[in-house]
Amino acid sequence: MTAIARRPVSRHTAPVPAFAELFEHEQQHLPGSEAAALDAWRRTRFARFETTGLPTQRVEHWKYTNIAKVANVAMGLASRPEVKLDDVQRYFAGGPLARRLIFVNGHLATELSHVGGLPEGVVIKGLDVMLRDDPDRVLAALAEDRALDASGPHSFADLNAAFLQSGAWIEVADDIVLERPIQLLFLTVGEASAVMTHPHIIVKLGARAKAHLIESHVGVKDGHCLTNLVADYEVGAGARLDHDRLQLGAAGTTFIGLNRIRIGEKGELKQTVATLGGTLVRNETDMHLQGSFIEAQLNGVYMPIESEHVDNVIRVHHEQPDGHSDQFYKGLALDKAKAAFAGKIFVYKDAQRTNAFQTNNNLLLSDDAEIDSKPELEIYADDVKCSHGATCGELDPVALFYLRSRGLDRDEAESLLTYAFAAEVLERFTDPAVMKLAQERLIARTPGGANLTDML
Amino acid sequence: MLTIKDLDVSIAGEDKPVIKGFSLEVKPGEVHAVMGPNGSGKSTLSYVLAGRDGYEVTGGTVTFMGQDLLEMEPEERAAAGIFLAMQYPVEIPGVANSYFLRQAVNALKKARGEPAMSAADFMKKLKAKAEEIGIRPEFLKRDVNAGFSGGEKKRNEILQLAMLEPRLCILDETDSGLDIDALRTVSDGVNALRTPDRAMIVITHYQRLLDYIVPDHVHVMADGKIRKSGGKELALELEEQGYEGLLGRAA
Ligand SMILES: Nc1ncnc2c1ncn2[C@@H]1O[C@H](COP(=O)(O)OP(=O)(O)OP(=O)(O)O)[C@@H](O)[C@H]1O
Ligand SMILES: [Mg+2]
Repeated sequence: MTAIARRPVSRHTAPVPAFAELFEHEQQHLPGSEAAALDAWRRTRFARFETTGLPTQRVEHWKYTNIAKVANVAMGLASRPEVKLDDVQRYFAGGPLARRLIFVNGHLATELSHVGGLPEGVVIKGLDVMLRDDPDRVLAALAEDRALDASGPHSFADLNAAFLQSGAWIEVADDIVLERPIQLLFLTVGEASAVMTHPHIIVKLGARAKAHLIESHVGVKDGHCLTNLVADYEVGAGARLDHDRLQLGAAGTTFIGLNRIRIGEKGELKQTVATLGGTLVRNETDMHLQGSFIEAQLNGVYMPIESEHVDNVIRVHHEQPDGHSDQFYKGLALDKAKAAFAGKIFVYKDAQRTNAFQTNNNLLLSDDAEIDSKPELEIYADDVKCSHGATCGELDPVALFYLRSRGLDRDEAESLLTYAFAAEVLERFTDPAVMKLAQERLIARTPGGANLTDML
Repeated sequence: MLTIKDLDVSIAGEDKPVIKGFSLEVKPGEVHAVMGPNGSGKSTLSYVLAGRDGYEVTGGTVTFMGQDLLEMEPEERAAAGIFLAMQYPVEIPGVANSYFLRQAVNALKKARGEPAMSAADFMKKLKAKAEEIGIRPEFLKRDVNAGFSGGEKKRNEILQLAMLEPRLCILDETDSGLDIDALRTVSDGVNALRTPDRAMIVITHYQRLLDYIVPDHVHVMADGKIRKSGGKELALELEEQGYEGLLGRAA
C-alpha cells in the first residue's frame, strides 16, 4: 500500500495566472518604475502575493467573506474613462473652500482637482506625482508598512504595493491647523470588462497639527470593478484628525480597504464611516494607540441591501496607558444581504488605565438577511475599563408603538425607525455635506423611504 | 365619550390578570383623576386604551365616541382623538423632535381627511406652543427625548399633546419628575386644553397636581379595579388617610 502524505490544509488559494501576466506587462509602466529601489520593492511584494495567495474563509479575519470568488479572477488595470462634471459635483463635500483631489478609477484627475493656496508645511499631492518625483520618500513611508503584523503578510496590501500607481499623499507639518477640509473623491466607473485599481492614501499629521479629511468612494456606473485600497493615517503627538468616509459603491463593485492608523501621545481621532452601497465591501482597520492619553472614536454604519455583502474588521491596539477608544458601529441588513462585524480590542501589558469600549448594534430587516457580530477583548493590563456589547434584533416594539400612538401608521413608523437607527451614526459626521449625502442614500435604501424625503 | 365596561386584562402569555372588572364613564368636558398604589394597574389601563401590544383583553368592552376602541390600531385611535402622555416616554435617537411632530400632525390630518399643514405654519405653531410649555427652541432640533432629563421628557409629552389637540387626553403620571415651576407650566398647558368637547384622564400619585388641574371626579384604583369614586375632595381624604386608611387593609 502506498502511504498518502498528509499535506497541511492551505488557508489560502493560489492566484489565477492573470495576475502574473498583468504584472509582467504593466510593471514597467507604473510610475517611478525607473527607480531601482521602488521597482525592486514592487517585485518583492508581488512575489510574496504569489506565494501567499488569496485568503479563503479558513483565515480567521476572512471568516465571513469569500473574497476569492470576486477577487481571484482575471482583471485588467482600470482605465481612465470620462466622467460628467455633474456626476462629480454632486459628491463635493467640505464646503466651497475644501481642497480636493479627484480620482477616476484610481487615476488622479488633475483637471478636476483643486489643492491650491496651501500654507507652508502642507503637502497635498497625487501619489503618482510623489512616486515619480520622490520615490525614496514614498518608499521610506511604505517601509513603515505594518501589514506584516503577527497575522502574517496581507495579500491585498501586497497586491496593492505591487501595482502601486496612484492615490494621495498628504502631509501637515507640526503645529499647523488646517481649517479647510481636504476631500479625496474616488469615482468608480464600470468598464466593459473586469478591472481593478490599487490606490494608496498616506496621511501624516505632525505634532499638534489638525486636519479634517473627507474620503468619498462613489460608484457612478455599474460594472465589475475591484478597488483595493490601502490607507495609512498617522496622527502625531497632540494632533487631531477628523475623518469622514462615505462609501456609495455601485452594483458590481468590490471594495477592499485596509486602513492602518497610528496615533501618538495625546493625539485625537474621530472617524465616521458609512457603507451604503457596493456589491461587496470589506473594511479592515488596524488602529494602534502608540502614546498615552489618546482619544479615539470610531463610528460606523453599514446597510447592505439586495444581495450586497459588507464585512467590517476592526482591531484596536492600546499599547500605552491612559488611552480611550470608543467604537460605535451599527448595521442593518435587508433582503438577502449579509453583514459582518468583527471587532477586537487589545490592551497591552503597559496600557494601564485604558478605557476601551465597543458597541455593535444590528437590525435584521428580512428573514433572508444575515448579520454576524463578533466582539472580542484581549487584555494584558490589570487596571482597565473595557466593555463590548453586540445586539442583533428587530425594530423596537415600544418605539413602534410610541410612533403609532401619535398617528403614524405601521409602515411610516417602521420606515422612520429604520432610518433613525442608522441616522444616529450619520449625525456623527463632521462635515454636513457628507452627512446629507449619506442621509439621502439612507432614505433611498429605507423601505418606504419616499415618505421621509422632506426630512432633509 | 368613553365607556369602559367590566374590563378584564391580562399580561399576554402570562395568564396574569392585571385589570379586573374595571368600569368608567367619561363625558365630554370632564376631568377624571385616577389614583392608586403602585402596581394597581393604572399604566396598564392607559396602554390598553392607547392600543399597545402585549396585553390580552379577556372580558368587557371599551367604546369611544361610538366606536369599539379595542378593535382599532393605535394609529386609528390617535386619529379618533386619543392621546396618551406616557409615564416613561420613549427615546428615539436619529429622529428630530420637530420632524417627528410634523409627521404626527400631518398623519392625523391625513387620517381625518384634512389638508396637511405647511412647514411654515407648523413651525410657527410649534414655536408658540413650545414657549408656552417652557421648552427651549434647541429641544425641537434635538432627537425625540434622547438624553432629555425626566422632567424634559414630560414637558415634551405635553408639547405633543398641545400640538396634536386630541379629544381624550390620558396623562400617566405626567407630574412625577417635574420640578415645582414645571408642574405649574405643564398644568397651565393642560388647562389651556380644557374645553367642553375634550376630556381627560389624569393618573397621579399626588394631590398637588390636582390643585392645578382640578378634577371633576376622583377614582381610587386598587388591584385592577376602581374601589372608590368621589369628587375632588376624595384626593384630599386620600392624602390624609393613605390607601390603607381609605380602603381598609385589603388595599
Ligand atoms: N409586561 C408586563 N409583564 C409582566 N407584568 C406586568 C407587565 N406590565 C405590567 N405588569 C404588572 O401589572 C401590574 C400593574 O402594573 P402597572 O404598570 O399598570 O401599575 P401602575 O398602577 O401603573 O403602577 P405605578 O403606580 O407604579 O406606575 C404590576 O403588578 C406589574 O408588575
Ligand atoms: Mg404606572
